[in-house]
Amino acid sequence: MNIVNLEIRHSSQVASAICMRGMRRIKSRPVLIIPTIVMPVVLVVSFTGAFSSLTRIEGYGTSNIYNWMAPYGALQGAVFAGLGSVGSSADDLEQGFFDRLLLTPGSRFPLLVGTVGYSACRALIPTTAVFLFSLAFGMTVPGGLPAVISLYIATSLLAVVFCLIGLIILYKLKTQRSLMLMQVIAFGALFISVGQVPQSFMDGWLKVAARYNPITNVLELSRQGFLGDVAWSTTWPGLLALVIMILVSGALAWRGLKRLAP
Amino acid sequence: MTEVIEAKGLARSFGDLVAVDGIDLSVSEGEVFGFLGPNGAGKSTAVRMLTTLLSPTGGQAFVGGHDVVKNASDVRKIIGVALQDAAIDPLMTGRELLKLQAVLHGIPRPSARKRGSELLERVGLSAAADRRVGTYSGGMRRRLDLALSLIHEPRVLFLDEPTTGLDPTSRAALWEEVRRLNSEFGTTVFLTTQYLEEADELAGRIAIIDFGKIVREGSPAELKDSIGAPTLRIDIDPQNLDNAQSVLSGFGIDRPARDGRVAIGLDGGVAKVAEVVSALEEHGVEVLHLELDAPSLDDVFAEATGRRLEGAEPSA
Repeated sequence: MNIVNLEIRHSSQVASAICMRGMRRIKSRPVLIIPTIVMPVVLVVSFTGAFSSLTRIEGYGTSNIYNWMAPYGALQGAVFAGLGSVGSSADDLEQGFFDRLLLTPGSRFPLLVGTVGYSACRALIPTTAVFLFSLAFGMTVPGGLPAVISLYIATSLLAVVFCLIGLIILYKLKTQRSLMLMQVIAFGALFISVGQVPQSFMDGWLKVAARYNPITNVLELSRQGFLGDVAWSTTWPGLLALVIMILVSGALAWRGLKRLAP
Repeated sequence: MTEVIEAKGLARSFGDLVAVDGIDLSVSEGEVFGFLGPNGAGKSTAVRMLTTLLSPTGGQAFVGGHDVVKNASDVRKIIGVALQDAAIDPLMTGRELLKLQAVLHGIPRPSARKRGSELLERVGLSAAADRRVGTYSGGMRRRLDLALSLIHEPRVLFLDEPTTGLDPTSRAALWEEVRRLNSEFGTTVFLTTQYLEEADELAGRIAIIDFGKIVREGSPAELKDSIGAPTLRIDIDPQNLDNAQSVLSGFGIDRPARDGRVAIGLDGGVAKVAEVVSALEEHGVEVLHLELDAPSLDDVFAEATGRRLEGAEPSA
């Protein structure tokens, strides 16, 4: 095996080990994942309970409130899964374990890949919880399997985006407290979108902001199969938004890591 | 002998604060090198630069012939590092951490398993290997940290204050392991410590660092010999301090001592003690207690910096 192949193999093993370490931490202390599961489920419960008749208004594309809210709840869970994995990195940074990772021979890029991989895996848990909960309470899946796949792709990749955004902030501020700032960004991005009401119901600056908020495209990607069939015309803008956000936030997070540990 | 660690004018500043101020170092292969200094002297900053965790703001350093900045990855391949705060994840077990460390260093799985078990055995953690590290005592965490730093059989081992906060038994066990590593496997050890006894016990050569500068360097014996006369410390009534100092100035050079005590390097050694006591009594200075010690590393530190190391006698 030549040296390049060996390097690639080592890098993929390091990234995978870091991802697995995160999942093992959840297994050894399940309480770590509870907020990430409970929050989106609570969002779905509270919204569907309080506004159960809302979807009778024309414009939602469904008369079932669970079909409208479940993808939004799952995306919220994904955002918190992404931020949760940043929380683990913040722990590592504050407790010195990050130094051990930095002492790994070879490029430090796998450290970043492993962390975002962990956030993507972590996002599967709240997505599944919200999906099953909503199914149990009457959600339907008119888009079939493609709808479910779209939902899981959207949530995993959105978790990666928020993990990378969180890492940019963490590598700059180097403290667990930076999670507060990350939460403000996460809530802001989710609320200024079509999460709760369709864009046609919005007015003024909120309508403009929601239109240009890439989270709107991601929401439409994840929600389409719960309102009707999955269509490429709705799928590609969501995927494109995710890819652009990952590339931009990934480049900034990588720069942050190199500055933190040259 | 081959130089395995070399630093030339190595410096690091944080804004206006100069943590390491242009130090020169040279450590030979197979040596146990002690880096002795008080808290905040610049020891850990120097180690972080030598282990590629921190970029120098001046000078150069090489480990195993590799530049710590330009060839950082090559440096990381040959070093093992146990940092000041045992960097271990409390939610993982000792065995899981060793497995992870093996992956980070690219060790194939079968070798990693065998090596992990050997190391757990060697540091006496086999029975606790499958327990979460969060349940370990301070000494156990340090021993695991040492095992983790040895998983890839490093040529050079950096130990940053490895026994800080440990009880005497754990400290002695760790010293024994460091000695064994050095004598059986020829591992070069770069050890930072603020404990005089630790440096004296373990290191073949010592550099004393203070305010970011190396103030003395040599073997413990050489450094102590450089002090010359043994130190006579006398407890007296503080009101007689000036009087006592004036009397003692005729017997040797003044050395730093804590409040209520005077100290000199006694020319002529033990034979002169009775004469000193008589002279003090003649001048009305009552001797409450006296000690005559062969020169220690603390004396070396005091002679070089005008202060005593923390935990030893504070300055007069």
